[in-house]
Amino acid sequence: MDYQALWLTLRLAAFTTGILLVIGIPLSEWIVFTHSRTRPLIESLCSLPLLLPPTVMGFYLLVLLGPRTAFGRFWVHCFGHPLAFSFGGLVIGSVIYSLPFAVQPISAGFYGVNPAMLEQGQLLGAGRIRLLRQVLLPLSKRSILTAAILCFTHTIGEFGVVLMLGGDIPGATRTLSIAIYDQVQDFAYKQANHTALLLLAISLIALIVLYTRSPRPQVPHA
Amino acid sequence: MFDRLMKAFFVFLLALVTPGLSSAQQTLRVAAAADLQPVLPPILKQFEAQTGIHAEASYQSSATLATQILNGAPFDLFLAADLSFPQRVIDAGKAEESQPVRYARGTLVLWARNDSHFARLSIDTLKDASLKSIAIANPEHAPYGRAAKAALEKLGLWDTLRPKLVIAENIAQAAQYVDSGNAEIGFVSLTSALTQRLQADGHYVTVPAEDYPPIIQGAVVVKGAAEAQAARQLLLFMRSSSVRDQLVPHGLAPTN
Repeated sequence: MDYQALWLTLRLAAFTTGILLVIGIPLSEWIVFTHSRTRPLIESLCSLPLLLPPTVMGFYLLVLLGPRTAFGRFWVHCFGHPLAFSFGGLVIGSVIYSLPFAVQPISAGFYGVNPAMLEQGQLLGAGRIRLLRQVLLPLSKRSILTAAILCFTHTIGEFGVVLMLGGDIPGATRTLSIAIYDQVQDFAYKQANHTALLLLAISLIALIVLYTRSPRPQVPHA
Repeated sequence: MFDRLMKAFFVFLLALVTPGLSSAQQTLRVAAAADLQPVLPPILKQFEAQTGIHAEASYQSSATLATQILNGAPFDLFLAADLSFPQRVIDAGKAEESQPVRYARGTLVLWARNDSHFARLSIDTLKDASLKSIAIANPEHAPYGRAAKAALEKLGLWDTLRPKLVIAENIAQAAQYVDSGNAEIGFVSLTSALTQRLQADGHYVTVPAEDYPPIIQGAVVVKGAAEAQAARQLLLFMRSSSVRDQLVPHGLAPTN
């Protein structure tokens, strides 16, 4: 087992999940309550990573984050190294790649909150932020946990974007999924099998936790 | 119960993002052509034993590695499988040298599993009408793939065999395609063919050297690399007579 890659992958997933919750909660609140005509566009952009091939994102991110754009040059100027092929670059790539896995469950949770409760809150003089903190979030805990688990496991399973944007640098960008690719290429089938089983177990356990905890409609016995 | 689960998960996240004990140890990062995957690890160990410098290698096709270096990947030393890809790095002003440093010469072989239809492999096997699939490294990305294409063109077989080619991203993957039985025969590097695994699973014939341009492998130290001094040391070590002699039985010939 490549413990360096395991540690790196878990850290990447944790950073990504944390950032996605910070971005995803206000973004979902905006999507659910806005009257802006740009809503369908913003919502589409948030879901786009579900449909795009990872190579498309990997390619554009590589170009956008690279030293040939103003942003890329600014980054190199400040930090001395480009974002691509670094852990920071992978975090940016993963945040974009997993964005739908945060926004979709959280906004679904917000949509499911009884509007009467929000109206009551408004009548009592609560502003948007207070409504979010005291009504929406407590009533959407389950959706937020779902979003967090999905973001975490989806980032662990990421391959295409990481390969294109991160290369395969041990300790910096070699995640578990890349390590498997390497191990197979190196005929280390036994190691590849161990790594693959670990990923399989993580994903399966995460899904079991999600489905065990999700409420089910009561279906009458026939 | 639910709140506890949620709390536990977020504590777990927090534990992961707090900076851990990152080792401040210097690491020399090597971008190595895929044909070096079977031979480089023991050499890096010897280098570490001699100098105390720890080196880590990433193995890809020479083209992929060159592209990564041009886009700013933090490699210190580029060990390519030909001279054209290090030359590209030089042309982009990203190398310390003005021309690639030659460190070895690769050999192209044709390989098949012992349990395949082609138990008695020869170059003429390529003309066998029953042949269905041939693994080859991508000629655009991998010098060994380019050599295989040149050999097939020389034999006048490129056009007829083209629909049967299974194209791998790099030469190590080509070996993987054919050893796993997914391709019947394959053009692989001699370094792969001489590994314990491929020697146990199959056999090879050497592609005649006059059928393809020599695979001269060149290296450059990446300009502005964090470990440029260590990279120069490793390159010198790779070219020392003891390492050269060591490489020969593993499929890499010396070059001048």
